[in-house]
Amino acid sequence: MTHPNEVLTRIDLHSPIPEALAAEIERRLFFVSPEITGFVVPVEGDEVRSVTLRSEQPLPHDALTEKVNSMVDNDVRRQWVTPAKAVWTSPHQRTPHQDVFELLSETGAVTEVGEGQVAVGEPLLSLFTYFDRAVCDLLAEDHEVREYRYPTLIRTKALETAGYFKAFPQHLMFVTRLRNDLDVYRAFQERQAVTGIDSAVLDSCGNVDYCLPPTMCYHTFNQYSDRTLEAGRLHVVTSRGKSFRFEAAYATSLERLWDFTIREMVFMGSREDVLDSRERFMRKVFAFVEELGLSGFCEVGNDPFFCGTDTSERIWSQRLMELKYELRLHVAPGKTIAVGSFNFHNDLFGKAFGIDHGANGPTQSGCVGFGLERLVYAFLCQYGLDTAAWPARVRTAVSGS
Amino acid sequence: MTNDDVRARVREFLAPHLAGQPLADNDDFFALGYVNSLFAMQLALFVEKEFALTLSPADMDFDNFRTVDGLVRLVTSRTATAA
Repeated sequence: MTHPNEVLTRIDLHSPIPEALAAEIERRLFFVSPEITGFVVPVEGDEVRSVTLRSEQPLPHDALTEKVNSMVDNDVRRQWVTPAKAVWTSPHQRTPHQDVFELLSETGAVTEVGEGQVAVGEPLLSLFTYFDRAVCDLLAEDHEVREYRYPTLIRTKALETAGYFKAFPQHLMFVTRLRNDLDVYRAFQERQAVTGIDSAVLDSCGNVDYCLPPTMCYHTFNQYSDRTLEAGRLHVVTSRGKSFRFEAAYATSLERLWDFTIREMVFMGSREDVLDSRERFMRKVFAFVEELGLSGFCEVGNDPFFCGTDTSERIWSQRLMELKYELRLHVAPGKTIAVGSFNFHNDLFGKAFGIDHGANGPTQSGCVGFGLERLVYAFLCQYGLDTAAWPARVRTAVSGS
Repeated sequence: MTNDDVRARVREFLAPHLAGQPLADNDDFFALGYVNSLFAMQLALFVEKEFALTLSPADMDFDNFRTVDGLVRLVTSRTATAA
C-alpha cells in the first residue's frame, strides 16, 4: 500500500507480539487515530516489536504510543495463537489476471464515486444476479426458505440489542436528519448559504435512532424478536441488501467497500439442525465453487471485534470453537479475499432478541453471508473480462439475462 | 499428578457453572448450554494457572476444552511431556 504522505512514526510495543497475530494488529491500526494514513508492521524474527505509522503531519508520539499499545494489549496480546485451519481447499489453481479493476473502469463497467463506493454496470450486474441465484438455489435444495426484502435503515436499538456497540463500534454508521423545527430549517439554510456545509450542522440534528445496517441478519433477528418459533424444525430466512461498514481506509477496488451488497441466510432452530445445515450448505457451496473451477480455500476465521472489554475472549473463543469459517478466493497471486462466511452464534441472538424455539428456550442460530461485489470481483480476477474464457454455465446465464 | 487428581480439580472448577446439573466426563458442557463461548478463555486461563502450563498453538483444539475428559487429556499430556 503506498501513500503520498511521508511522515513516519515508530511506536514500540510494550513487549513483543507473536508474528501470527500481526494481522490482528494491522486490521485495527486505522481505527486507532484518524491521523494514521498508512502503516508497516515489521516482523523481526518471529515477533512484532514495533509498528511504523504514516501520517500527513507529525504525530504526537507519546499519545500515539499509549493508544497503539492500549489497542494491542486489549485486543491482541491476550489472544492465544491458534494455528490456521483450512476446512476445504479448491483443487484448482488459477493465476489471477492483473489490473482487473482498472480494466473494468476503462470499459465503464465500474466507476469509483467515493471512498469505498463504486457504481457497477454490466457485466457485473448480470454476474451479481447469477451468483446470487446460484447460492439461493443451493439453499432451496434442502430448505423451505422465506425471503424478505428489508428497509435500508435499521433501528439503532436493534444493533444495540445485537451487542453491536460493544463488538464493532468502529463500523457503526448513524443516520440523522435536521430536527423538524421551522427555526432549525431556516437557521440551517442561512448558515449553509454563508459557510457551506460542515460538521456544525450536527448541532441542528437530534436523532440517532436509525443506522445503516452492517449486515442483513440483524434485520432478521429484529423481525423475529419476541417470538416463539415452531419447534421440531429449522427456520430459514434469506435476504439481500446493501450493507455499510466504515473501514477507515479504502483502496480503489471492489475488494473492500464502504457500501456493499450481502446475500444472507439465517438458520434458527436446534443446535444440531443449525450446525448440520451450516455444514451441509457450506459443502454445497464448496462443490459449486469447484465446478466453476475457482481457486481458493475456506478456513477458520474471526470477526474484527474492537476495543471491548472482552474482545480477546471473543476472538479466541470464536476461532477455538470454529464459530466462523471464511470462504476465500484468489484475486492476485498469493492474495485472497473473503467472499463469504459461515457462522454459528449458539443462542447469542436468540437470547438477545427474545426468540424462543418451542419450549426449548432461546433459539440457536447461524448465518451465511456472501459479499456479492467481492464474489463477482474474484470471479473476474480469475477468469478475466473476456466472456469466451468463462465457464459455459456462467456465460450462458449471463448472456441470457 | 494423577489423572484422578486432574479430574477432581477440573470438576471443582466447573462445578459452580453447572447449577447442580449432572455432567458426565465426556459431556460437552458448551453444547449442553451450561456455559457460553466466552467461558473458553476462563478455562484456558485456569488450566495454565492451576497446572503451571503454558498453552501452545498445538493445544488449540476445541476437543481439549469442551469435556472433562478433554481437559484431563490436555493437562496430563502436557505434564507428561514436561516430565
